[in-house]
Amino acid sequence: MPPPDPEQLPYLLDFFPLQDAESTQISHFFDELRAGRLVTSYCPPCDRLHWPPRVACDTCTAEKLEWRTLPGRGKVFAFTAMMLGAPMGFEKDLPFVIAVVEVEGAPFKVLARVDDAKYEDMSIGMAVVLKVHRLRDGRVFYRFRPA
Amino acid sequence: MSGFSGKVALVAAGHTKWGVRNATWRELVQEAGRELFKAVPNLDRSKVDSLFVGAAQPERWAFQSHVAPLVADMVGVKPWRVVQRTELACASGQSAVRSAAMAIATGLSEVALCLGVEKMNLPNMAESQTSMADVLDREFDGPSGASAPPFFALTAQRHMHEYGTTEEQMALVAEKNHANSVHNEYAQFQKPVPKEKVLSSRMVAPPLKLLDCSGITDGAAAVLLTSAERAKEFTDTPAYLLASGQSSIGGNLANIANWTTWQPGIIASREAYKMAGISPTDLGFVESHDCFSISEIIEYEDLGFCKKGEGGKYIEEGNPYIGGKVPFNPRGGLLGMGHPLGATGVSQVAEVLWQFQSRVPKQRAVGGADLAMTHNLSGAANVHSVLIWGRSAQVAG
Repeated sequence: MPPPDPEQLPYLLDFFPLQDAESTQISHFFDELRAGRLVTSYCPPCDRLHWPPRVACDTCTAEKLEWRTLPGRGKVFAFTAMMLGAPMGFEKDLPFVIAVVEVEGAPFKVLARVDDAKYEDMSIGMAVVLKVHRLRDGRVFYRFRPA
Repeated sequence: MSGFSGKVALVAAGHTKWGVRNATWRELVQEAGRELFKAVPNLDRSKVDSLFVGAAQPERWAFQSHVAPLVADMVGVKPWRVVQRTELACASGQSAVRSAAMAIATGLSEVALCLGVEKMNLPNMAESQTSMADVLDREFDGPSGASAPPFFALTAQRHMHEYGTTEEQMALVAEKNHANSVHNEYAQFQKPVPKEKVLSSRMVAPPLKLLDCSGITDGAAAVLLTSAERAKEFTDTPAYLLASGQSSIGGNLANIANWTTWQPGIIASREAYKMAGISPTDLGFVESHDCFSISEIIEYEDLGFCKKGEGGKYIEEGNPYIGGKVPFNPRGGLLGMGHPLGATGVSQVAEVLWQFQSRVPKQRAVGGADLAMTHNLSGAANVHSVLIWGRSAQVAG
């Protein structure tokens, strides 16, 4: 495995890629995200969606979980912007918007960056859609952008 | 649940200067040890049977793990009962004290040293900020770039949105706690900060400005715990642990109980009040976890001092000031003292002892307090921990 590209370290991801089937049992989540879809794990006996995606349910002992595709849309519950004191590698992005997003089709709110928006453009309740952030080594991470 | 019921005594404390220190991690440890042993001259170091080290991230900030034996070496003790490091992010220090108290309450330990330490200022501050960021769920919340200020900023925005809390009310918290830390020789910040200065300080993560945030701090503190039976060997004026509570709900931010009501804080404090048989207003003062100004406002509410949503009004009315109903953070709080993660909870406990012993400067003395509470939240406020201390081993009926 080649050493990590320093440019790829900043985003608090693992130092080495851990999104493929050799590394993680939730590689399907990353594969779907790479294709532009937001999925998460679902427990049939509990009729419950999880976040983050899991391999074992936290409320029962079911052996097999399923995947569910979410619409990839949401509404802003709260927002701020990182203006000072960013973690390693994020400094070049300053300032950037961070929001709590109520995820459509799911009972949870996720923390995520909102791209293509300034703090001044944001408001509570505004609609956002999934944006896939792609790193050069092929890794992906979820963000949102204004709908 | 009988709890601690006065079986554990707090008998001595030592403290280093906090701030941006020209000192390494191990030097801070040595200083805190020296100050503790200076405070209790009739303690033979060979009688310290247990050591509890509160340290959040020595692996990242000092490239050091397995820190308990190294601390034992640095301060010159050779414990034979319990040797342990506690990690609970911002509550690592209280966790050390609480673990020591459990060891003493069971009789496993009789003389326990608790030392909290963190070295946070590095030449590359982004590296230090990364250590704050990975307190959150690093794989699923971390890549959003959030660390502590954005989390508490989101909390503040929701509290303003739901309850009408204002930036001026938050600024009052910073003003109050800096007014106290002016009189604390160990504090990182020793200048008065009027609320106007808080409001005009540089934006970190709106609505939080620089002076709404606690510092990045190097520092250490140490306390000595023993059994109630042996307390008088070390001091005529010990303090006693009466009760404690702790609760955790959710790790990833999708799973926290609520963005503006800290359910674990409600649970932990009510457990402790019940164990001590007191209500919040029986407390003489509170050392609470004001990592950000909004935190203390929510703590007035969720620790039971005012109704939900009225925390801003509670400080406007003067209640948490020295001389007010129940003073919050006479030590100077995290806002005034700075916040070396592993040391904060230990320093708060030191303040309790010194307040009870009337050993603090009169400008920040609460005077006549018989009961005090120390409180820490950690991470995304998903864990809350409290300790209730008494000047006597029993609550006066």
